[in-house]
Amino acid sequence: MMTMANAVFLLCAATSLACAVLLLRGYAHNRVPLLLWSSLCFVGLAVNNMLLVVDLVIIPGRDLLLFRNLSGLLALALLVFGLVWDSE
Amino acid sequence: MNEFISGMVAALCLVAGLFFLRFWRKTRDRFFGFFAAAFWLMALHRLVMMLLKNSENEHVLGAYLIRLLSFVLILVAIVDKNRVVPRRKAASRTEIPSR
Repeated sequence: MMTMANAVFLLCAATSLACAVLLLRGYAHNRVPLLLWSSLCFVGLAVNNMLLVVDLVIIPGRDLLLFRNLSGLLALALLVFGLVWDSE
Repeated sequence: MNEFISGMVAALCLVAGLFFLRFWRKTRDRFFGFFAAAFWLMALHRLVMMLLKNSENEHVLGAYLIRLLSFVLILVAIVDKNRVVPRRKAASRTEIPSR
C-alpha cells in the first residue's frame, strides 16, 4: 500500500510541475496576466508537492508540514491576489 | 497552526474556483470550467484531509487521489484549449472578461 501512496505523491508532484510549465509556456505565447498568476500558483503547488515527496517518501516524518502548508498558502494567495487585481 | 493554514488554503481554493466560475459564465469557455472544478477539488482534498487527520494510510491515499485528479483536470483544460484554438482561431483565446 505504501508504494501505491508513494506513486500518487510522485504523480501529484509531476502533474503539478507539468501544469506550471505548460501555463508558463502559455504565458510566453500570449501575455495574458491571468496565465501568469495561474502559473505562479502552480509553481507554488509544485513546490508544495515536491516538499510532500521529500517529507513522506525521501525522509519519512512530518517535519516539513508547516513549510508544505505555507507553500500552498503562498501559491493560492498569489492566484487570488491576481484574480482580484486583474479581473477588475 | 497547520490546521489553520490548511483551512485558509481551502478557503482560497474555493474563492479561486468562484472566480473561474464567473469567467466561465461570462465567456462560456470550458477552460475556465475545468479550472473551477480543479480548485474546488483542491478545497475538497483539504477538507477530506482534515476529516482523516488521524486515519491510516489507505484513506489518506484516497484524499491524495482527489488532489491528483485536480491537477489532471488542469492538464486536461490546457490540452483541450490547445486543441480548440487552431480550429476557432483567436475567437476563443484566453482573455480575462472585462466588465
